[in-house]
Amino acid sequence: MNSILVLLQKEFTLEFRQKYAIGGVFLYVFSTVFIVYSAFIQIPVTVWNVQFWLIILFAAVNAFLKSFVSENNDKQLYLYQLVSPLAVIISKLIYNLLILLMITGLAFLALVLLAGNPVRDAGLFFLTALVGAAGISIAFTFIAAIASKGSNQATLMAILGFPVIIPILLTIMKLSANALGLIQDTAILSDLGILLGLDALLLSLTLLLFPFLWKD
Amino acid sequence: MSSIKKDWWKWLGVLILTLVILIGLLVPLNPGITQVSPSNAASGTTVSVSANGYNTFFTSAKSIRAWLKLAGDHALGAKSQEIISDNEIIFTFDLPQSLPVDQLYAETALVIDSDIDGAFVRPFALSINQKEVNVELGEQAWSVDKIHELTETNHFRYPFRNILVETIRNTYFHVPLWFGMILLFLGSVIHSIKFLRKPDELSDQKAVGFVSAGVLFGIMGLVTGAIWAKFPWGAFWSWDVKQNMSAICMLIYAAYFVLRQSMTDQDRRARVSAVYNLFAFMAMIPLLFVIPRLTESLHPGNGGNPALGGEDLDNTMRMIFYPAIIGWTLLGVWMAQLKWRTLRIESRLRE
Repeated sequence: MNSILVLLQKEFTLEFRQKYAIGGVFLYVFSTVFIVYSAFIQIPVTVWNVQFWLIILFAAVNAFLKSFVSENNDKQLYLYQLVSPLAVIISKLIYNLLILLMITGLAFLALVLLAGNPVRDAGLFFLTALVGAAGISIAFTFIAAIASKGSNQATLMAILGFPVIIPILLTIMKLSANALGLIQDTAILSDLGILLGLDALLLSLTLLLFPFLWKD
Repeated sequence: MSSIKKDWWKWLGVLILTLVILIGLLVPLNPGITQVSPSNAASGTTVSVSANGYNTFFTSAKSIRAWLKLAGDHALGAKSQEIISDNEIIFTFDLPQSLPVDQLYAETALVIDSDIDGAFVRPFALSINQKEVNVELGEQAWSVDKIHELTETNHFRYPFRNILVETIRNTYFHVPLWFGMILLFLGSVIHSIKFLRKPDELSDQKAVGFVSAGVLFGIMGLVTGAIWAKFPWGAFWSWDVKQNMSAICMLIYAAYFVLRQSMTDQDRRARVSAVYNLFAFMAMIPLLFVIPRLTESLHPGNGGNPALGGEDLDNTMRMIFYPAIIGWTLLGVWMAQLKWRTLRIESRLRE
């Protein structure tokens, strides 16, 4: 438990020491929103929904890629002597989730600022955003861990990550379309259940498999 | 001789598959009705209904009887009949003034019984309109004739389904290929777990072999599915959720090979791809079995559609369908074995 907190602290210290990475992500969010806004002028709600989640998806790929790639073998060897692999992956998961929630909030603010706020059911929307962001961060953290072992990590990350993320993304989009009043659906609870189930599945897989991945 | 004893399962697989292909393609379908015209009529009139039979032998039949059947026991026998050919027949019905329902129309099924072909039905064949509702009179008029003494045939034949017709035979190819794929992937998962517990090169090679054969089966499943879909759905690819998710599933496994290619260190490659293999298998389950059930789909067993069973998979078909699963799986295991043995030879040669 203690080591998780220390590792988390390390991640944040590193992040604030070299602000370019996180700053790049923020810049990315704003420029994407701005480009789509200038292309559409009036952004329809359907586009709003798709754009919101695509921004989060690509920002997540960019932000998470460095979570393992930036750690060279020497540093990993050092960590391996000190803490358990579970502490490493849990701290990475928590850190990535916090970053993704920050990105989500930022993307939301940017879209609201430029394209208006179409959210009808705020409770459902933010619940979806929370559960969905958890799913995306778990899946991409684990994929980043796998991709960091190969060469050409950025391509690998996309090839490995996108097929896996599709079921989560489709469920999220359906739920948030509900929250935006685009569709009327009675299966909201079962969809949320599916999303939580996928989160739990990915989380248990990640916790189970990461120790095998980590040792080199 | 020793090869037969040792590799009996390969011979068994080939034997089963040969029989499946022969019996699956050669046994005819049950007789059925492909088309009925007209499709609607007014009550109180005399209507001539022409029916197109499939696999029927009207001209050589000694006795042919026909009824229009409503829900419950209500039926109306044909007054006369005119046989045009083996596959075409015209029945004349005197429709009574009233229907035994409190609606202005009713859907009737056409039931034909012949001493050669047996009994067969076309549901929703003729819809009858009436001007006013009189249930009592209708009950009387529709209770005179009874469907009775249907001919029972004991032919070894596959069921006739209007939307499928001959494509029902694809049940022995498309469905077992997917079953086989799941079993092959399961085999590779077992070897990956073995590798993670106790690393050795053979487990890794076996896992790769099983994944390769599984991916081949998956692609074959997609192709046979697309060919099948062309008939009832009208297009090879309808962007149906089941098709999309199966294609994505193939992408997940294609990434397995990309991942292996991206690593040069053998030990690391074996370990990372074993981890990814477990991950891919677990990611495949919701793709194939959870998501398609939640959304609308044309595929049987998804989006509220009934799964295989009932009349689509009767006992005759089960006799070929279950062995087909075993046969295809045995063939897949054989392919996997050839693949990992090749990998083993290659790695020996490198040393």
